[in-house]
Amino acid sequence: MIDYRPGKVAWYEENEPREGKAATDETWIGDVADSEVPTCGLKERIGDLRRRTTGWDTCVVVTPERVVLGLLRKKELEGDPNATAEQVMRPGPKTFRPNVTLEELLKSMREHDIQTNSLVTTGDGRLLGVISRADAEATLAHDTAQAAT
Amino acid sequence: MPSEVFLVSDVKRLLQQRAQLVDVLSEDEYEHDHLPGAINIPLKRLDATTAARLDRARPVLVYCNDFG
Repeated sequence: MIDYRPGKVAWYEENEPREGKAATDETWIGDVADSEVPTCGLKERIGDLRRRTTGWDTCVVVTPERVVLGLLRKKELEGDPNATAEQVMRPGPKTFRPNVTLEELLKSMREHDIQTNSLVTTGDGRLLGVISRADAEATLAHDTAQAAT
Repeated sequence: MPSEVFLVSDVKRLLQQRAQLVDVLSEDEYEHDHLPGAINIPLKRLDATTAARLDRARPVLVYCNDFG
């Protein structure tokens, strides 16, 4: 007999699939996170990021392994073009695991008045994607309406 | 064969080797969510009868909720 010591939570934190009611009745944020969010390295200059971040108000600063280091919001992306991401990033941003339900995420967003993108990462900090407050609200409303029919 | 594994990649490799995946949590927890393909044998009900579901010729990979 072999023991998978970290258990199912660690499996889900890697955004691996699930079966059961949670697969059919619940939306987990790993299911809906947008993985196309722009990313950059520490040494990249803000001016060089602008084309890549067109249409976004977020750029995630990551290691080559996509481990999250920091976050650039609109203010930083519109700031000094010669600054590096490392110089102006918001370090250690709040992140959520992919096995958090959409309802749980929205509760947290509402309680903390978060209007911007929330980061979804694996248990060891690798970026999976982002989810905006608007997308979270819309997806949950859609799910609720579907469940009622 | 190891007695413990820690990585998702280890689990996938064992499943490719036809390991049987066993969720030892309660029925309610299993019904709510479990790893794909896992069968449920709650730890409290693990005995010769329930274990008879398992193929002795294949590795058995068990999991609980977390390290706890």
